[in-house]
Amino acid sequence: MHNTDPNAAAAVADPVIEVEGLAKEYRVFDKPEGLAASVRALFHRTSRAVEAVKGVDLVVGRGEFVALLGPNGAGKTTLLKLLSGIITPTRGTARVLGHVPWERADDFRRRFALVMGQRNQLWWDLPAAESFRLHQEIYRIDPARFEKTRDALVDMLDVRRLILQPVRELSLGERMKLELVAALLHEPEVLFLDEPTIGLDVVAQHTIHEFLRDVQRRRRMTVVLTTHYMKDVAALCERVVVITRGDVLYDGSLAEIVDRFTTHKIVTLDFDEAPERALIERFGFPCEFRGPQVVLRIDRSRIADVLPEVLAAAGVRDVSVEDVPLEEIVAELFRSDTRAHAAAEAGS
Amino acid sequence: MSGGFEAIRPPGQLQGLRTWWTMLKISLEERLVYRGDFVLGTLMRFLPIVTQVFLWTAVFSATNRGDIAGYSRNDIVAYYLLTMLTRAFSSMPGLATSIARSVRDGSVKKFLIQPVDYVSFLLAARVAHKLVYYAVAVVPFGAVFLLCRGYFPPPPDATTIAAFLLSLALSFLLGFFMEATLGMLGFWFMEVSSIVFGYMLVQYLLSGHMFPIDLLAGVPTGLAGVSLADVVHWLPFEYTAYFSAAVWLGKVQGAQLAWSLGIEAAWVVVMAVACRVAWRRGTRRYSAFGG
Amino acid sequence: MNRYLAILLTFARACLVRDMTFRANFLLECVTSLGWMSMNLAFYLLVFTYTAEIGKGTGWSKEPFFAFVATGLIINSIVQAFFMPSAEELTEMVRTGGLDAVLVQPLDAQFLVSMHRIDFSSFANGAVGVGLLAWAVSRMDHAPPPVAWALYPLLIVCGVAILYGLVIMLAAATILMGRNQSLYDFWFYLTNFSRYPAEIYSGPWGGPLRMICTFVIPILLVVNVPARVIAQPFTGESWGGVAAAVIAAAASLVVSRIVFQRALARYRSASS
Repeated sequence: MHNTDPNAAAAVADPVIEVEGLAKEYRVFDKPEGLAASVRALFHRTSRAVEAVKGVDLVVGRGEFVALLGPNGAGKTTLLKLLSGIITPTRGTARVLGHVPWERADDFRRRFALVMGQRNQLWWDLPAAESFRLHQEIYRIDPARFEKTRDALVDMLDVRRLILQPVRELSLGERMKLELVAALLHEPEVLFLDEPTIGLDVVAQHTIHEFLRDVQRRRRMTVVLTTHYMKDVAALCERVVVITRGDVLYDGSLAEIVDRFTTHKIVTLDFDEAPERALIERFGFPCEFRGPQVVLRIDRSRIADVLPEVLAAAGVRDVSVEDVPLEEIVAELFRSDTRAHAAAEAGS
Repeated sequence: MSGGFEAIRPPGQLQGLRTWWTMLKISLEERLVYRGDFVLGTLMRFLPIVTQVFLWTAVFSATNRGDIAGYSRNDIVAYYLLTMLTRAFSSMPGLATSIARSVRDGSVKKFLIQPVDYVSFLLAARVAHKLVYYAVAVVPFGAVFLLCRGYFPPPPDATTIAAFLLSLALSFLLGFFMEATLGMLGFWFMEVSSIVFGYMLVQYLLSGHMFPIDLLAGVPTGLAGVSLADVVHWLPFEYTAYFSAAVWLGKVQGAQLAWSLGIEAAWVVVMAVACRVAWRRGTRRYSAFGG
Repeated sequence: MNRYLAILLTFARACLVRDMTFRANFLLECVTSLGWMSMNLAFYLLVFTYTAEIGKGTGWSKEPFFAFVATGLIINSIVQAFFMPSAEELTEMVRTGGLDAVLVQPLDAQFLVSMHRIDFSSFANGAVGVGLLAWAVSRMDHAPPPVAWALYPLLIVCGVAILYGLVIMLAAATILMGRNQSLYDFWFYLTNFSRYPAEIYSGPWGGPLRMICTFVIPILLVVNVPARVIAQPFTGESWGGVAAAVIAAAASLVVSRIVFQRALARYRSASS
């Protein structure tokens, strides 16, 4: 059940990432539990193939900011690793900036960057400035240009005073900012971000959002991001690709995902004082009473009809109509897929 | 299913035994998972001996004497093989560094909270670890000793064998308490790897792992009539490798044998006490300064 | 090429800065590695109190033998300083996924993997090796001819190259297997064979062993060839050893390069 528009690929102008039928299989050895089983495993090890990514098709155009969403183990990170050439696929093709990533051509590697939120790529015991210097050598950045870019990035994130401190003395948020600076020094055309805001506080998350949005627009950079925080998605991405069990479940605009997968609107009514339950319950929508406030979930198709009636109820002081939060939509999306999968398994 | 809650609660001792049994099983499983590594690793440990044997063969070929410091060439080969065996008892790979690490990363805290004595826990874990090791290592060891049986003198009498076995058991305890004490230095020093390395160095030289201590009998110390070998006999190191091998080969006999076993036992007690004291003081210091 | 040199210098500077930050640790490392070495020297001195020569008629009497040991010290200190710490760290990089970061950079992965860390404390042993060599050679019965002095540095480079190839193959194995501590033990035990003159490997067991360690895994050429050139009389036969060392070095570099590339293609990357 792909929700991908078959014409979407053709519609993308100036494609930077083109992926077709990309799959990655891992062979894993079962590690048996229990003594007897371990002894048996001495003579016979059982292994099976696990398909982390199975036949993904994807096209991303220049300047797009795409979010890869999916539950843990869905294959998001594997896909990013394939796109950055860290691992070689079992089948399928991919082109990033016209290169096959896993050929690891220097020309290709000079033009993109990968940042992993859970890994430290800076020199641990040294100030970040030293790592930046090394980056300059590795990416052959012109010295004048290097300094200009570095200063601009450092000022945008307001971390100038941190780059001369050993990295190990910095907080997680500070480190992440410096990681981003390091990754952007060579002005990559494509940026892969693997959970860049993991474990960060709200303020740091916000700063990083602002920064990424700003840099991406200014440079017309193509960004692919994996995350578990819907805040990241809402703040940054226009396009969302949902992956579950190694497969693309949905690929489309963020607005569309909201439009398509929300059957309800959330209507919040404020009363002067706690209303009588029966008064609200008679409309027949799921509702929640919080003192003088009532939260209703109303079918989108009926909202225009119902809303005037609801508002006419005695004592309504204020009203707000909102979309279901993104977290909920995505969680529901994952869940419905799991259910469909379970049903298919049971049926077969 | 009736029984209720107050059914059978194993008494403390039994509970300890059960914990230990579980530990034994888990470490055996672990070892079996990495069995390839293990068999290869054990066999490889004999490789340096091969070089040593060739070196000594060359040395013997160039001299006209039948023995060096009382060792014939065959004795030398048998000696090196036997030190492999004794070191299988006394060496505690990773013990000191893992204690120091647990202090550094704070995981030692759990032993300050849980009703488990850390030193006993470590000892039990080591016993389990060693038992598992012997269970698997008996194959490569057996093969090598069988292959090399020609180098050994005829087996000694029952008393010597008993002394040999006793010295092996003591060497296990000695090795354990020395390394554990070393690891507890982690309470005072951030980085113990260099200290551990220094210890390994001294250990390598003075334990007899490198050459039979008897070779030092001709090296003067400056004190009249006292050779370097005499000094080393009073230190704990040679009891982790040289001593048991020398006992088997009949180099230490009679009153000297009893006397040496006494020294070894005394060192075990000293190091066990040192280990306890270090733990006590270390944890006190730790809770005073915070991790 | 220039760029790689510049990067190597950056690594060197960073490692030096790091070593100087943890000065006490650095000094301790120097002291322990010197201690280890002096212990071995003491052992050889002890052996020479019982014999005049290692092996009858081999020419490895005390001074030539110490020139041999010095050569080993120099070669091993170079390998230890430049390649081993990086290669040892590779296990950790594979386990934690740090290798991912290496693979996305526009730089030869083998270069990064084998040289990103330089252990300056290992040069202490090399310095002692040079001193020991000077002492031993000055006390030998025969002085090495100029051609021996000219070949010596070249053969040291060949020895380093042979060992470097082995390190890279171990690194490749680490990438394929993920975790493998015993590989580094294996390294230690293997290089152990190179520590003594090849002549000691004789007899029904030693002969074949010598053949294997010369032609299959050319570990015996590493120290023996340069040490023979400097510490034994230089004759026409010496050229055979020189040729063997050069060929073995070239083969080691090429084969290890191929093996490493294959391993990278099959890298699994740790899951995060």
